[in-house]
Amino acid sequence: MSEPTPTCQIALMPSGRRGSVPAGTTLLEAARLLGVEIESICGGRQTCGKCQILIEEGHFPKHNLTSALAHLSPIDEREAAYRQLHDIGARRLACACEVLGDVLITVPEESQARKQIISKAATDRVIDVQPAVRQVYVEVRAAELDEVGGQGDWERVQEALAQQWHLNNVAIDPLLLPTLQPALKQGKHTLTLTLWQGRDSTGGSQAAEGPGVGARPANSSEVLRIQPGYAEGVYGLAVDVGSTTVVAHLCDLRTGAVLATEATMNPQVRFGEDLMSRVSYAMLQPQGVARMHRAIIGALNDLARKATADVGLTPEDVLDMVLVGNPVMHHLLLGIDPVELGGAPFALAIAAPIDMKARDLGLKLNTAARVHVLPNIAGHVGADNLAVQLAEAPHQQDEMMLVIDVGTNAEIVLGNREQVLCASSPTGPAFEGAQITHGQRAAPGAIERVRIDPTTLEPRHKVIGHDEWIDSVTAITASARATGICGSGIIEVVAELFTAGIIGADGRFSEAATERSPRVRFKGRTGEYVLVDSTHTATSQEIVVTQNDVRNIQLAKAALYAGAKLLMRHKGIEKVDRIVLAGAFGLHIDPHYAMILGLIPDCELSKVIAVGNAAGDGARIALLNREQRQEAARLALWVEHIQTAVDPNFQTEFVAALGLPNAVDAFPHLEGLLPAPVTGSPTRRSQRRHVRTQAESPIPG
Amino acid sequence: MSDELDFSDLPDDELIQQTHDDLYDGLDVEVVAEVNEFLRRGWTPYETLTKGLVGGMDIVGIDFRDGILFVPEVLMAAKAMKAGMHILRPLLAETSAPQVGTMVIGTVKGDIHDIGKNLVAMMMEGAGFKVVNLGINNDAEKFINAIKEHQPDIIGMSALLTTTMPYMQVVIKALVEYSLREKVIVLVGGAPLNAAFAEEIEADAYCRDAAVAVDTAKKHVAIRRSKQ
Repeated sequence: MSEPTPTCQIALMPSGRRGSVPAGTTLLEAARLLGVEIESICGGRQTCGKCQILIEEGHFPKHNLTSALAHLSPIDEREAAYRQLHDIGARRLACACEVLGDVLITVPEESQARKQIISKAATDRVIDVQPAVRQVYVEVRAAELDEVGGQGDWERVQEALAQQWHLNNVAIDPLLLPTLQPALKQGKHTLTLTLWQGRDSTGGSQAAEGPGVGARPANSSEVLRIQPGYAEGVYGLAVDVGSTTVVAHLCDLRTGAVLATEATMNPQVRFGEDLMSRVSYAMLQPQGVARMHRAIIGALNDLARKATADVGLTPEDVLDMVLVGNPVMHHLLLGIDPVELGGAPFALAIAAPIDMKARDLGLKLNTAARVHVLPNIAGHVGADNLAVQLAEAPHQQDEMMLVIDVGTNAEIVLGNREQVLCASSPTGPAFEGAQITHGQRAAPGAIERVRIDPTTLEPRHKVIGHDEWIDSVTAITASARATGICGSGIIEVVAELFTAGIIGADGRFSEAATERSPRVRFKGRTGEYVLVDSTHTATSQEIVVTQNDVRNIQLAKAALYAGAKLLMRHKGIEKVDRIVLAGAFGLHIDPHYAMILGLIPDCELSKVIAVGNAAGDGARIALLNREQRQEAARLALWVEHIQTAVDPNFQTEFVAALGLPNAVDAFPHLEGLLPAPVTGSPTRRSQRRHVRTQAESPIPG
Repeated sequence: MSDELDFSDLPDDELIQQTHDDLYDGLDVEVVAEVNEFLRRGWTPYETLTKGLVGGMDIVGIDFRDGILFVPEVLMAAKAMKAGMHILRPLLAETSAPQVGTMVIGTVKGDIHDIGKNLVAMMMEGAGFKVVNLGINNDAEKFINAIKEHQPDIIGMSALLTTTMPYMQVVIKALVEYSLREKVIVLVGGAPLNAAFAEEIEADAYCRDAAVAVDTAKKHVAIRRSKQ
């Protein structure tokens, strides 16, 4: 008998989850083990501060444990360093606490993961319904006693398909064979066959086929389901596997109608918040790839169950599925180690589209259901971007269109029917609230809109879940208290700080503004702005925007702009006709503020549009129209990918784009909206000179 | 122009001040004129470098560290510094002026980001270091060869991805293998790094930003020289 590792009892509020974990486990990990997701963006490096928790002290009979502060490891150096910069009171960082004894923990709302609002709904687009999977009704000749050799019921079905539908060389999923004769009997020799009519677009797909299915010609048909008599109803799922959110649209493949849309958090988040940390997890954990693969397949099965249940169906009714995702998601979906995507030259395992059986991925749909995975373009530009291109179709326009899909890694597409270029740009997680002092993801209580009075410098804001503008004297209910600032709020507040003259075009807080309002204050040598008073926040602490926050937004927006600008340079154009903001984030950004910030190039404001989850729409298009799958395969080869990071002009464009809205490029459409360049007010440099002038030294120049 | 850039009537201390201001403002033409003025007055190239240029870049470094200056301003200042150095470097080579130090810097294998690393390189040059910039995507062999060729006091490694930062450890192990580890100070930096990571891979220090890199480099070089 080996000595058991000492274990500690943990109870987590408000979820009420409890259980035991080995002593020495960090609280962050312990919560995960017990099925409670605590927000963490830095991955346990004591830098993001998103995993703050409270320790309840005392004896808790209900949980049969005695909780004490001393049951956690003491504050270490790094947590102390964080605390020095941020007043978090009695709270601890879950990632820095090792569990040494029994504890009862409260996870405050802002520290709970899985609370995001998922605002991805299928938009109304006109799609020509021509699905890869459809139903055909056949009347099958009965067997006769003098039947020639080599003829079975399946062969007579093939004969019927050829005669009645002009379909030749139709194959059958061998797993369906046991259902054939009972169906013939029940349907009195009439059947409804569900057929897949596709194209094996990858050389390797045969290996991925079900057992017993041999090589087939490029264009092929396969029977996926046999129903007796006449039957109606064939359904498919279009899924956008985002690194944070997974969205599934259940569609009627006959009418093209979206019957249900379901979304869930990508469960891989617990292995790493961003893409690269998931690649790291795959690199460092022996079972990492398998775990992440299982997690996402599990999530897809859940989505299929929920979406079908919404309309009284079951996953068994789903015969076709289209999957899109960025290259890392794409690889993990297929169980491919994404390690090569973690470093230059960012080699894809496969770019071509994939057709395979859902069951071979562990998907619990109809036994014979098919999966189509859209192709990738490059190591950072994947099937999800191709889906966006299918939805927005820049390759069918005369107008010069710029499509920006904002995420931790922004994908940028520029072009028209003559040529389409694409690139990715590392914007980092600032737009998602990370690296921002009071940043958070979009969730109830997050500040999403901000206005600052240019004269009084008094702010107003809107929080998610409440329609009214809130200022410092608005009486509010507890649920309207702000918990933090989400991406759209951060963009608006920085733009408003700029237009109100609180920060300059270089992003620096103006010392002169401290005289205009007590909301602008300097701590040491740098400024900050009090956006929400402690009376109006959920934490009873002020929500401020610091100099460092502004800097992080400058870096993120400069990376995005520089990527777009490089593509424009590549095409030799100065302006674009239309800007499309894709992704859930794009839906919430006000184009006006995006332009004031210089996140996007100058363009007529009415020509800047947000389209929401275009990747999901593109997946739906590929689900409903098999020609569009061919179009995607063609686009993947035709679109030109530009590696922006190694472009010699990237640094120049990036540095210019750090300015607000840009140190070099003009924004004629913002005329009258931008603050006049501050003249006469002493900048830090001339200030020093000024001091010298007073000392009466001659100044050259 | 020549009238405007006549600094001959400024006393020495004010000329130093003016040089610092013009570096801060990134005014390269002015800085060149000021360097020439120092030399005309008989200052040694080394004195001109340390009191005029390095002194000025120190202020830039402090303001960058404190968040008052940002990347564009620092790059402008570094450009002005470079213009001044263009005059001083050949003169420094002729004289037996003390060397501040040499650094070999590069982004590690698999990583193609270099703006942050370039900023460190420029700030190090601003502090008087000779900097050999290896660019992006450097494997251990490139670092080893550069060390053999340039005999640096410091090697600096940068990575922007969590997936590429582990390669730093590969380079450090290679240094040990080639018996070069004791000969160089290893500084590491980049967005996903932290001090704990630097410690884990047995680098000498993690540098949060370019200003910290300069301070850390100076400190480590001073310690090393005091031991010699």
